[in-house]
Amino acid sequence: MKLSSLLLPAALLATPALAEHTSNWAVLVCTSRFWFNYRHLANVLSIYRTVKRLGIPDSQIILMLPDDMACNPRNAFPGTVYSNADRAVDLYGDNIEVDYRGYEVTVENFIRLLTDRVGEEMPRSKRLLTDDRSNILVYMTGHGGNEFLKFQDAEEIGAWDLADAFEQMWEKRRYHEILFMIDTCQANTMYSKLYSPNIIATGSSELDQSSYSHHADNDIGVAVIDRYTYYNLEFLESEVKDTSSKKTVGDLFDSYSYEKIHSHAGVRYDLFKGGAEEARSRLVTDFFGNVQNVEVDSGKKGETTNSSFEEEMVKLSRTIAELHRRAEEQEAAERNATASANAKAGAEKKRPRQKKIQPVAKPLTDDNWWTKKIVGATALAGCAALWGLGSYLEGVV
Amino acid sequence: MSAQPLPKDEVLATTTRKLPPPEKPSDVRRRSHVILSFWLIVLLLGLPIWWRTTTIYRADLPLQDMLDWADGKACRPVFPLRISIQATSFQDQEAQNLLRLTQHALDDLNDFAGHHLRLQLSDEEQESADNGSALTIRLTPGEGTTATLDPYEPILDITYPPNTIPSPTASSSPLATYIASQLRTTFAEEQATISYLLSTNSMPSEHRPLGLSPETTESLAKRTTRSVKYAPTYHLTFSLFTSGPLPSSWDIEGAIEEYMKPVLEVLSPIHNFTIDTQVQLYASPGVQNQVLNKEDLSSFINAAEWPLSPSIGGAPTINFIVFVGNQTITNPSQESATSQSWLIPQWGTVYLLSLPDDTTHVTAATLKQPLLTFTSHLLSLTGTPESGSLPLRLSTLARIRSADLLLRASSTLGSLARLAMALPSISIPSSVADGVTKTMSHLRLACDNLGGTEGLAHARIAEAEAERAFFEKSMVGQLYFPDEHKIAVYLPLLGPVAVPLVMGLINEIKAWRKRRREKAEKGAEKKEQ
Repeated sequence: MKLSSLLLPAALLATPALAEHTSNWAVLVCTSRFWFNYRHLANVLSIYRTVKRLGIPDSQIILMLPDDMACNPRNAFPGTVYSNADRAVDLYGDNIEVDYRGYEVTVENFIRLLTDRVGEEMPRSKRLLTDDRSNILVYMTGHGGNEFLKFQDAEEIGAWDLADAFEQMWEKRRYHEILFMIDTCQANTMYSKLYSPNIIATGSSELDQSSYSHHADNDIGVAVIDRYTYYNLEFLESEVKDTSSKKTVGDLFDSYSYEKIHSHAGVRYDLFKGGAEEARSRLVTDFFGNVQNVEVDSGKKGETTNSSFEEEMVKLSRTIAELHRRAEEQEAAERNATASANAKAGAEKKRPRQKKIQPVAKPLTDDNWWTKKIVGATALAGCAALWGLGSYLEGVV
Repeated sequence: MSAQPLPKDEVLATTTRKLPPPEKPSDVRRRSHVILSFWLIVLLLGLPIWWRTTTIYRADLPLQDMLDWADGKACRPVFPLRISIQATSFQDQEAQNLLRLTQHALDDLNDFAGHHLRLQLSDEEQESADNGSALTIRLTPGEGTTATLDPYEPILDITYPPNTIPSPTASSSPLATYIASQLRTTFAEEQATISYLLSTNSMPSEHRPLGLSPETTESLAKRTTRSVKYAPTYHLTFSLFTSGPLPSSWDIEGAIEEYMKPVLEVLSPIHNFTIDTQVQLYASPGVQNQVLNKEDLSSFINAAEWPLSPSIGGAPTINFIVFVGNQTITNPSQESATSQSWLIPQWGTVYLLSLPDDTTHVTAATLKQPLLTFTSHLLSLTGTPESGSLPLRLSTLARIRSADLLLRASSTLGSLARLAMALPSISIPSSVADGVTKTMSHLRLACDNLGGTEGLAHARIAEAEAERAFFEKSMVGQLYFPDEHKIAVYLPLLGPVAVPLVMGLINEIKAWRKRRREKAEKGAEKKEQ
């Protein structure tokens, strides 16, 4: 009884802190290069355009594009990328920020990005600077198979690697909730190994199913978008017009059907706290949009008193800073006095100390010296033994 | 083998065919020596080399200690705040007595063991300011009992009517109770904040203070949500956005100097600040409505077009935006009132400034109101408590931040330990072990000095070291290799080598056994004869 009464308030305390997220991030990854994979870049760019439309700033979008379709010599419309044969929207536009491009898109860089194990030299704009109040949308597309996704036809990321990376993020409290979305062949196998909490995962196709493209543009000459992404976009464009939309993630998932996508799109809720019900009730804009809970200052009425209060505060801090400075000066003066006294005393002491340092012919590191000797001796002995063995065998024969 | 039965004479022919001459015993011995030496090389040289070159280096981490830190077993966060009482008008005996009674009253009131106030008498006036005490109580005789916080220094002025001095034999005194309750209200917010911090982290339940009301918890949760994650340095960006060509310049330097610098200076023991400013003309907001409601405000910032993330240096940015425009904000809670600014948690502030159309230069005086708003928002973004005098708020902030850093460094240690155990194939370079040792020694120092000023410095170092250890650059790469991959790598390499080796060994063993059997048979025959 007593124990439960002790624990209960603690449990109550812990819950409200998790209720809300304060920032939205998006990691959009295309993993294939070459002209015939035009549609994968178009997939990613159309999601990029959508999250930007819904308010996620470029500084919070990590875009990985292994190839530059807009500047490909085979592109009949140079400088543009379209995801629809009607060519109504140029996805490349004039305002696009690619964070990782070309050969920078590697498995290692992707895992480094997620786990933030990067060097000092990495600029902030290329890092995923999330915290325990960040919702992250992770969208991946490319060519995949059973439990792997190919990066640039050169290497692949396994479902285990991905799961471990997410787990490291969770351990370091680098996310609040994640929506993981993947459009590739056998996509659902990629999220089957995830084991970290608070992840909603969805994929375009089951094991042994291919993920198909939606349509081709005859002038561009290749397919321009995949079916799964196309119908996601259709939902986002028609139902989620702005950040005030109240459509939920469940609505988005319900819009998938075999007739549209030509493969069985999958959803995984079991990692989410509260299960399917809770996960489905999340707003689409919780992941695709940037909804900030602003705090409006109190109105004009309070303002006059407020401003005088603030002025007071500034005045106060000025005085305090002045006081600090004076105290510091005093301290510095005292320190100087003692330091000069010390210096005098030190100068006298220094001379005899300098004499102590005498050049001695001695190896620089004592401990290594012996091990090196032993290694050398063993090597010599080994060679001698080999020679002895050889000559013995010769003698025997 | 051919399935067709062979004719008889042919079978005879093969059996009678000439056999190779019997091997000389020396040849047999030589062959077994050759095979033996190959195997010796493989086992004594090949295996160790393979082992040495393929094992992943994992430095020894004090896993149990790290987990103890994370679980709060290694450190019991206590904040012993020393409070000195200046009672010059008291006699020594009386002062001691009052101190004892007040301490009693305080201990009775306090229900949170982690945060206790220790009273002490300060004899000489001059040392009162910097002897490490968090607050000084100055007792002066006066008309009635009043308490006021000195605005410039952490001093609580208490006046008392002379007749309330407790007699040496009294077991309770209204003055002592009054002082105790005053102290308690002064530190109530700090206590609540710290106990909230401890409760949201994985501290064991017996350290957890109880009795936070849901409202307090909610407001504290809101405040921690609002405040930016601790960083030693923040980058402040002041931006002037205007939808037209005017105004094109502003006296931001002067305004900052006048209205913000003092506060930045006061915060300087806890944070450093770097500042940059920008003016953007023809900037259209994300919402074009004349009257903005609360939902519009969150999409007012045109994140796609406004250059708001300078990514200068490694410090997190706090944004302060002045938007020149005559939009108004309707506040649903207050019908008539309109406000001009709003705070975006962990991000910064936007201020709508309406100016006459032909203003080309924004003077420092015009910027006064925005800057003052920014200043007070900066304080709440850094997580400064809201009640009490400024010096007290700042010292409280230092304590809250050191507790926060301590908890964060501890939980990072725990994460690292759990990861090291969960991922056996991750390499752990020795620099990580060094970082962990450093973190733990600084955590220990920070834990011992939580109430004091060094606590923050140590906690800061500990947190930085813990982060560096966790985010060690080389602890990445492909962590998991499926078994098929391993077979695919080793088989083409080892298969061709292993087949003759193994076959040779098997043949040799067979031959040896055959020889032994023959020997035994011969021996038996001899015996029989």
